[in-house]
Amino acid sequence: MKRDPRVKLIYILLLTTLAILAKDVIYISAIVLVTIIVNICLGTNILRAIKRISFYVSFIVFITLVQSLTVKGGTPLIYIGSFVFVSTTGIIFALEFLLRMLVIILSGIIATSTDGREMADGMQKMGVPYEFVFMSGIALRFFPIFSDEFRARLNAITMRGINIKKLPFRKKIRLYGYLMSPTISGCVLRSEQLSISVEARGFRALQHRTMYRELKMGLYDWLFLAVGIVFGAGFLFVNYYIGSFISIL
Amino acid sequence: MKIEIKDLSFRYSKKSPRVLENLSYIFEGGNIYFLEGKNGVGKTTLGKIIMGLLKPTSGYIYFDGEDSSKIKPADRAKKIGYMFQNPALQLFAPTVFDELAFPFEIMGTMDENIKDNIQKALKKFNLYEAKDRSPLTMSYGEMQRLALAGISLRNVDFLILDEPSSALDEEGRNFLISYLEDFSRNGGGVILFSHDEDTLSKINGVIELVLDNGSIK
Ligand SMILES: Nc1ncnc2c1ncn2[C@@H]1O[C@H](COP(=O)(O)OP(=O)(O)OP(=O)(O)O)[C@@H](O)[C@H]1O
Ligand SMILES: [Mg+2]
Repeated sequence: MKRDPRVKLIYILLLTTLAILAKDVIYISAIVLVTIIVNICLGTNILRAIKRISFYVSFIVFITLVQSLTVKGGTPLIYIGSFVFVSTTGIIFALEFLLRMLVIILSGIIATSTDGREMADGMQKMGVPYEFVFMSGIALRFFPIFSDEFRARLNAITMRGINIKKLPFRKKIRLYGYLMSPTISGCVLRSEQLSISVEARGFRALQHRTMYRELKMGLYDWLFLAVGIVFGAGFLFVNYYIGSFISIL
Repeated sequence: MKIEIKDLSFRYSKKSPRVLENLSYIFEGGNIYFLEGKNGVGKTTLGKIIMGLLKPTSGYIYFDGEDSSKIKPADRAKKIGYMFQNPALQLFAPTVFDELAFPFEIMGTMDENIKDNIQKALKKFNLYEAKDRSPLTMSYGEMQRLALAGISLRNVDFLILDEPSSALDEEGRNFLISYLEDFSRNGGGVILFSHDEDTLSKINGVIELVLDNGSIK
């Protein structure tokens, strides 16, 4: 289903805001569910997108684990004497973090499933200054560049006969640290090239820029938007007036 | 070593067209193969498939008769030295010296002998003066020499070099050619992906191949 980029932008804003405002795991789960439904309605390819960013996903899972091990409080679940390894609060904290990240990732998938220029058009029509639109477009495009650069270097290491998976944990960390600096300087080099080419093509040489594409909100766009707003309002109402389910239980 | 490719087909995704189609060929040690083909015909793709960086859509590759589908890229690289088309992406260390030493250090196999070899390689590949420089600020030709120096430190049976002479000057090319001729004389196999006719005409006993329409002619 093809929706106006402005509607998508509003949904992204709405869902990520709600995920942050949501009071407990149950509310956040509801947002995750809605985000998935929205993704399905928009026809984005969730599985493929997640596969593409699996590197970050494993990173998030790692942080989640660390959180569940370090945040203490509530009822101890795994403990030796008075030393608590895992507690209910830790688990809930970690779960909330994981679900919130999931909402952000899933919303990001909505953004990336849209043609970047169309997204920029949408933002600009909503009154966002052009420089900002341009910068955020580039920033978005830098994520894949960053992971490409990183992956290329992992491949380079592999091609020197080093099996990264088999390295002991300590060495693996050292290796990743080692790879960060060329990856970052690779990105900086690319951004320098980009700014040169942007200048060379006369960025902001003219006061006004006309857009080839025209955006028009159709009936379904308005409908989609209305559903989102009603849901958002309803959600916030329940979230604040009924409050945490967990404390009720 | 023998690299046997059988009925290999590849496409990047279900929607995109096949880059390679029913490609079969046997590359044998002791030879230098010069594989040319138009831009976008699939040379780099073929190299990456042999190295295990891309998985074939269908077909097989055998190393000395052994099905390679279970062999990890890192283990393939122990036998086959691979040079990327873009040398800038191949380098990762803060200095030229580290670039050569790091793999041995991380694997814990560094010893006096290897240290000695690194010093020799720095001189042989004309990189000694640059040994404390950052590879990232080097010229493309220097990067290509460094990449080759890195490969030369390991005892590989085969070399797959993706446009290794694209940025080399006359001297660099001649050095590369004599290096490859030595390598193949000692029984090693070389596959060059290249457009560089000058290099082609200078290599003794080179086997010229053309990749076209998804397979080798
Ligand atoms: N990651 C990718 N995803 C989709 N298609 C790709 C990808 N990489 C390459 N291709 C396409 O596959 C085809 C073969 O590319 P490849 O890089 O193997 O060509 P090549 O023969 O090495 O070209 P060149 O002489 O320019 O180096 C091209 O049409 C290219 O556009
Ligand atoms: Mg190529």
